[in-house]
Amino acid sequence: MNDDQETQAAAPAENRTGYSGPALATESKAHSMFSPSRIWALTMHTFTQMVRMRVFYFLLFFSAAIILVAFMFLRFTPEQELKLLKDVSLGAMSLFAGIFAIAGTALLIPKDLEDRTLYTILCKPVPRFEYLLGKLLGMLVLIFVSMLFMDALFCTVVGVREKILVKETADAYDQELAKFPERGQNESWKEQREEALAAITNYGLRWDLQAAVWAIFLKASVMTAVTLLVSTFATTTLFTIISSIAVFIIGHGQHLGRSYFLSGAPEGGFERPLAGVIAIIFPDFHLYDIVDAVVSGEAVATTLLLQMSGMTCLYLLIYTAAASFVFSNKEL
Amino acid sequence: MNDTPDAPAVEIEHLTKVFRVPSLRKQTVLAVNDLSLTVGRGEVYGLIGPNGSGKSTTMKVLLGLLHATTGKCSIFGRDSSQVDSRKDVGFLPENPYFYKHLTASETLDFYGRICGLTKAERRDQSARLLKLVDLEHATDRRLAGYSKGMLQRIGLAQALVQNPRLVVLDEPTAGVDPSGSRQIRDLILALKEQGISIILSSHLLEQVQEVCDRVGIIYKGDLVREGKLEDLISIEDQTEIILKNASPALLEKVRALAAGDSTEVISIGRPRTTLERLFLEETQ
Ligand SMILES: Nc1ncnc2c1ncn2[C@@H]1O[C@H](COP(=O)(O)OP(=O)(O)OP(=O)(O)O)[C@@H](O)[C@H]1O
Ligand SMILES: [Mg+2]
Repeated sequence: MNDDQETQAAAPAENRTGYSGPALATESKAHSMFSPSRIWALTMHTFTQMVRMRVFYFLLFFSAAIILVAFMFLRFTPEQELKLLKDVSLGAMSLFAGIFAIAGTALLIPKDLEDRTLYTILCKPVPRFEYLLGKLLGMLVLIFVSMLFMDALFCTVVGVREKILVKETADAYDQELAKFPERGQNESWKEQREEALAAITNYGLRWDLQAAVWAIFLKASVMTAVTLLVSTFATTTLFTIISSIAVFIIGHGQHLGRSYFLSGAPEGGFERPLAGVIAIIFPDFHLYDIVDAVVSGEAVATTLLLQMSGMTCLYLLIYTAAASFVFSNKEL
Repeated sequence: MNDTPDAPAVEIEHLTKVFRVPSLRKQTVLAVNDLSLTVGRGEVYGLIGPNGSGKSTTMKVLLGLLHATTGKCSIFGRDSSQVDSRKDVGFLPENPYFYKHLTASETLDFYGRICGLTKAERRDQSARLLKLVDLEHATDRRLAGYSKGMLQRIGLAQALVQNPRLVVLDEPTAGVDPSGSRQIRDLILALKEQGISIILSSHLLEQVQEVCDRVGIIYKGDLVREGKLEDLISIEDQTEIILKNASPALLEKVRALAAGDSTEVISIGRPRTTLERLFLEETQ
């Protein structure tokens, strides 16, 4: 900063009056082919654009839905109730992240092309892959921030509900004890009480929930990259959205298809290479299926999380490289 | 490729651009046909031609937004297909639209950022350029509410944000009111005075005549006439005599080719056609 100002002050004043303005620090600098600050500018620009499109209003639906679920269903057992709450909330998070990833991303490039705002960016010294990277990261920041909000609300609601349920259950046992004081001496009754309370906590607020939320975010990131790739060659937004949804569905089913397809497939047949090609083109979302396990209170292995994160990075890299290749040859 | 000190601002060599039109039969459109032109440093070059003649296409290839089918373009000696050729260029596209969700100052800040300006520079440039294009009163309004002429002005400010050495203006005065149009003309002249090279296209021939050093007339993708403005609009086989204090009787005599008179001959030269007449002739 300071250096810049000094060179500015020291620059010769000739030709620098009136319309042409002061000397800028960039004028002497060589152009860099990769600039994190430029990418960050594009990222924040995309993020702001989406925010000002009022996408966060969607989150109100989410809030309303989970608060409704949390305090409506009172006829189940405490475990069922917490499980339902988590099911609905994580499902809604998945849905919103998916909608943001597909619908939001599908709009970005066609809108820039249609409004010709793309020209105004690419006629500046901005490499095309930086533009794409900015769009991708902008969407990821958007999804991340909205999931952060949903996660905070979700955890609060689950935590509060859990506390209430624990208290209610404990009170019920205490009332029973008040009625039948001899049960205080009964070991199996005390055990039963402890187990009931432990079951609720097991279904309650646990760190593994964050793993599920992280898995949802990673899956949405992959969908963002896929949609961005499709939108670089698609001619209409509708095509982009439909193709991306198709990839989403195929990505979920592909592990089933693969095991069915390859069981009993002969060596050297066409099946194996075909399955290989499909596995490369379409992401395998089976990897991210930890939500059900988490909802039923199972623990998540750290290695699984690392594997998931690593695969996601790989997918992002492959799809963004492909998008960048298509986009740099595109006629605008 | 490096910036060679004596390279012209713009060099277009045998540029041909063919568009494939998506249709059942493989149709193509020849938008620019073997076009060559050079814009020297500090020169103002006007590209004129009827609608659909290939002016915008030429500019887009020059800026690397379209790929040349054959031929090549360079800016200050750097090939247009390279990103760094765009470091010193400002571009105003035709009918520009900007991000509607940004205000005028945010817009300039954003374009300054992607050009690599520091925060202080962006603030200064933003204030200076908004004043320059007369949009100070609308600095904090989102562009969604801007009129066509206001968008054109913010577009001009955006093109100048990194103090480029070459400015490419595609119909800079389209949709701008007469006084705004005169302001833009003055701005172009001021940029020229600072030694900035300009290539512009316009349908307002009077303005082109006022600001351009050289003009190219492009018709159906071909550069049909090109040259210094004075040369283009002078009529070769005629001579113009301007007389001062000539009495009607004298005029009679002059008309009768009376020579050796005491009349002072102020100027003898080529009479001018208007650029408009030339334009119509060349593009029939
Ligand atoms: N993306 C495209 N696909 C197909 N044809 C195109 C495309 N862009 C331009 N053309 C065609 O190329 C020709 C030249 O168009 P261009 O926009 O360069 O004209 P222009 O001289 O700028 O016209 P105007 O004065 O109307 O702005 C036209 O025939 C146009 O139809
Ligand atoms: Mg045009």
